[in-house]
Amino acid sequence: MLAAAWAGLANAGIFWIFDPKGTMADTNLHYMIIDVVIMGAIVGITALLVIWFMWKYSKGKNRGKYDAHWSHSNTLEVLVWGIPIIAVGFLAYFAVKGTFEINPYNPTVITKHMAPKGDPVHVDVIATDWQWLFIYPQYHMAVANELVLPVHTPVFFRLTSTAVTSGFFIPQLVGMIDVMPGMRTKNALESDRIGVYQGIASDYAGAGTSWMTFPTKMVSKEDFQNWVSKVQASPKTMTYASFNRFAEPYINVNHRVVYFSNVESGIFDHLMMEVMNGKTWPLPPAMTENMVAYMQKQAAEHRD
Amino acid sequence: MSAHDSPDPSKAVLWDTHYHGHDVISTRSFGYFLYLLSDGMLFATLFAAYGVLSYSHSYFNGQTPADFVHPWYTFTQTVALFLSVLAYGMGMSAVKKGNKAGLMNGLIAAFVLGVIFLGLDIHDMMDLAAHGVTVQTSGGASAFIVLTQVHAAHIFFGLLWILVMMAQVAAKGFTTDTVGRLLSLRMFWHLQAIIWVFVFVFVYLWGYMS
Amino acid sequence: MLVQVPGGWNPLLGRLAIDQIPYTNPILAPLFVAVVIGAVIILGLITYYHKWGYLWKEWLTTVDHKKLGVMYIILGLVMLFRGFIDGLMIRTQQVWANGPQSSGVFGAVHGYLTPFHFGQVYSAHGLIMILLAATPLLVGFMNIIVPLQVGARDMAYPYLNALGLWITAAAVALIMISLFVGDFAHNGWFGYAPIFELQYSPGVGVDYWIWTLELTALGTTLGGINLIATIVKMRAPGMTWFRLPIFTWASLSANIIALTSFPALQVALFLVACDRYLGSHFFTAGFGGNLMLYTNLFWIWGHPEVYFVILPAFGMMSEIFPAFSEKPLFGYITMVAASFAIAGVSWLVWLHHFFTMGAGPDVNSFFSVATMLVGIPTGVKVFNWAFTMYRGRITYTAAMLWAIGALFLLLVGGLTGMMLAIPAINYMVHNSVFVIAHFHSMLLVIVYAIFGSVLFWFPKVFGFKLDEFWAKTMFWLFSAGSVLVFVPMYMLGFMGQTRRLDYVFNTAWHPYLVTEEIGIAVYCLSVAAFFVLLYVSIRDRVKNRVGQDAWGTSRSLEWLTHSPVPFYNFAVTPHVNARDELAWRRHNGINEAQPTQYVDIHMPNNTGVAIYIGALTFVLGFALTWRVWWLCLLSLVAIIVLMIVRSWRGDPGYIITAAELEKMEREAMQRQQQVEGHLPHHGGQAVPGGAMAYEGQKVSPLGTPPSSGGDHH
Repeated sequence: MLAAAWAGLANAGIFWIFDPKGTMADTNLHYMIIDVVIMGAIVGITALLVIWFMWKYSKGKNRGKYDAHWSHSNTLEVLVWGIPIIAVGFLAYFAVKGTFEINPYNPTVITKHMAPKGDPVHVDVIATDWQWLFIYPQYHMAVANELVLPVHTPVFFRLTSTAVTSGFFIPQLVGMIDVMPGMRTKNALESDRIGVYQGIASDYAGAGTSWMTFPTKMVSKEDFQNWVSKVQASPKTMTYASFNRFAEPYINVNHRVVYFSNVESGIFDHLMMEVMNGKTWPLPPAMTENMVAYMQKQAAEHRD
Repeated sequence: MSAHDSPDPSKAVLWDTHYHGHDVISTRSFGYFLYLLSDGMLFATLFAAYGVLSYSHSYFNGQTPADFVHPWYTFTQTVALFLSVLAYGMGMSAVKKGNKAGLMNGLIAAFVLGVIFLGLDIHDMMDLAAHGVTVQTSGGASAFIVLTQVHAAHIFFGLLWILVMMAQVAAKGFTTDTVGRLLSLRMFWHLQAIIWVFVFVFVYLWGYMS
Repeated sequence: MLVQVPGGWNPLLGRLAIDQIPYTNPILAPLFVAVVIGAVIILGLITYYHKWGYLWKEWLTTVDHKKLGVMYIILGLVMLFRGFIDGLMIRTQQVWANGPQSSGVFGAVHGYLTPFHFGQVYSAHGLIMILLAATPLLVGFMNIIVPLQVGARDMAYPYLNALGLWITAAAVALIMISLFVGDFAHNGWFGYAPIFELQYSPGVGVDYWIWTLELTALGTTLGGINLIATIVKMRAPGMTWFRLPIFTWASLSANIIALTSFPALQVALFLVACDRYLGSHFFTAGFGGNLMLYTNLFWIWGHPEVYFVILPAFGMMSEIFPAFSEKPLFGYITMVAASFAIAGVSWLVWLHHFFTMGAGPDVNSFFSVATMLVGIPTGVKVFNWAFTMYRGRITYTAAMLWAIGALFLLLVGGLTGMMLAIPAINYMVHNSVFVIAHFHSMLLVIVYAIFGSVLFWFPKVFGFKLDEFWAKTMFWLFSAGSVLVFVPMYMLGFMGQTRRLDYVFNTAWHPYLVTEEIGIAVYCLSVAAFFVLLYVSIRDRVKNRVGQDAWGTSRSLEWLTHSPVPFYNFAVTPHVNARDELAWRRHNGINEAQPTQYVDIHMPNNTGVAIYIGALTFVLGFALTWRVWWLCLLSLVAIIVLMIVRSWRGDPGYIITAAELEKMEREAMQRQQQVEGHLPHHGGQAVPGGAMAYEGQKVSPLGTPPSSGGDHH
């Protein structure tokens, strides 16, 4: 409720972090408010104290008593150590509680709400140089650069990368988790608000990072099923070999979205094994020294 | 203000004409000891990196220390290094008696034994390479080789320093400068031997036995 | 054993080739021309005024801690300026390249910097600001002030001190030359695995980055050894531990951090070099490497490092507040304890830089709580500064304004830091501009403390005060700039803007980006004010001359000696009777008392070996970057040979006799009386003896004067 008021105040919709639309993001904001309130109180009072002293003990104004030798007070020592210790004690409790609640590998805030018959959606996320591939193993399909999910359903991600480290981040839905080559991280989200939200690659991954954004669409369950059918009817398919071509360096300036049906199963695990065995996607030197020229070259490769 | 521990101003000493400053050797040894702390930290970091890269998957299905370590060979290296440190120490007792010849003998012995250590190490590395274990083989091999060879590089520079000290003592005898440097070199040499204990136990032996 | 590098390699020139020089780049080519013209003018002026001898004898071969400190500060200010320009370029690119309709020039699709160049600009910005601007500035101050505060004649190892400076200068030269020969790293100032591996950074940029950092680390470690030894071994008689000035305590705790943490950085970067040069697999994704290892190793250094830079800044604030509140520092012992508590806990928190890497809630929780613990001693310091002002008589000089500004920035930085310490919050704002605003707030604490210290201690070093009006003008402009740049940045962090975007996709952010750009313009005005400040102060230096106790209310030992400080610091070593020795003497009316008897003193000689070795380390770094193996070997051998030669010759130093001392002291006291007695009647006369002490003085033939002698050729 507080969050809604806050969002309304602050230019509704522009402060994504204050305008959460999913369970994980709600929790993030919850802890942020607690922290800011506690710390803000201490910092605010201290600031006022300092300003008061500055005004009162200004030289020549004779507002305050001058004591040339006063430099120690046991009472004050107890206070200046005690107040921070107590504040940190409180915050530590909330910090630990919050860490477990939105632990990306097992977020209790989602898992304890899950209905006994589950029905979660699983998505395998692969970050390449510089696109996102979202594989839905349950439906044997994949989508490049767009994420569509049903509301009221827990979504569990497995994430990896082909070449370098980046970060998977949807500000209004879920906090960041790194994606790393040869390693598998996890994340989870759940939302009950239909809408389109921005997804971002949050760690610098090379020349194409700025364009490595992806819209995340939370849709109703029926719409989701319709969309799945649409993707499964796509003429494009993906095998591991075609994935290799997809993963070659590509800067997604036009934010193209591609649907793949009949996706070979196990691409995610196969990729991780390949990377652990030493596969890399090397970049040429000074690739984007002249970006305009590079984009022309990329367009000429007809990968669109 | 620490009013309770300051003297009566009318009787206070304000200037110290008899203060002849710090003891030169003590100040230099302290500084060198501080440098050695940083050197110890350097090795600690290398050990941390080695620890992270010493799992079976770090060796990437290649040879592990269990395959390429020869404990008795490395034990010979250990004996050479420890004898070198002992020789150096005996040389330093000669300094206490002002015995230049005694020191030179100690230094020469320390040098020769150090060269034996280094020679054994280089031969070991060449042997590894011949069997296909180089830094390019795997993360675990990288960590093993870099950690042991950083230690060996320290030994190399220490040997160079021993040679320089032999020349300096031969030319100038025991001065504040030369004795101070011999003391610093002693600390350095001892530290390398201590580090070697950790390398031998945790890298060679433990690796061999896992 | 050595890897094949993309782009070719030949035995003579390594990877150097004519196409590595960006002569077609529209920004760099004119810049190069401007730099060459500027260099020719400066070198020409020096030659025209026949100042090469002076420069060599007085500055380039000196081992005097004050001059070395001044050179560190000059180096730091020049790099602060370059880092500022890099920051300006970042801001301009982001406000220009905002939204798909934004225009692009110079080969960029949006804005004026392609991703290739933008990456280098922000990586250089970060590296320069932390390690080549802030660190030299702080080290410079510690160099000048600590020996004076402990009553010593110089640092424990004067030659090593000079070596540290020239190695740092070599690091600066290396990053500057990366502008014009080759390129710089594009993976940020701290680097990521595996983007810095050869496959994903095929140029020489990462190599420049590695060796610049290695050289800085070496210089800082040497400086750390020197400072700790000076504080432990060279204190004047009577200076017990609890009479040590608070800035010296801060320097001690900071340098203990430096000594123990910089080796971790050296190893981390050395292992990256092994990957890039030898093809090892420390941080590769495959072959058993572990890319998370790099992040851990780097930040094990990286977190103590930020405390290494902030503790001296806290120490500076702890000196300025008492001086301008005319009261002793509140809770001296607690402040000392807090500094060491911060230094200790700083070792336990490094993972908070990568909570999002997926360590698991147990590990994340531990580091979260540890990070918050650091807030306790920091909070104690803030309260203690406030209670120093309480019941004081506060004068709002420009130095005091900077210190107060630093305090308020610490409140903001501390609040946002406590937010970042909690993973639940961190997952939302990690790698966003909120983090950038947080650490810039903290770095601004350091910058403010440094500017305050420049104003505070300038009169001690140079003998005249800086102009108060222009100093305050600079303060207000700089603070306005800070507000205009960083308040919108915090807001953008909450809007979801991540860092290092060379193309900013969301046009809703545009008003905030524009505000930040206006802030940068205000910063430019404050830089201009700084130059005016320097000009006006130097112009009015005779009017603003001061005696030994420049501010009248200072408390520690360095204010006991003359302003400017003579090259031997104290003619006779002072005997310390209390904490805040000068305040104690002034309170008892004996602060003007001079020694009645002088004795001979022993001073170190100048030497050119330090600058030669420094220059050779630059050559070594350059040769390593470009893989010119013969040059690497040659420079390494030359360095070792020079070290052996220097060791062989040693330095017996030279003696200044009691008679010479007495003469120099009498002249200093006459000058002091002139300054304090009445306004000088000879306007326009330069400060007698030169801006730094006693350069024009001739010492009697019994002792070799500092400007000659010693082994340098």
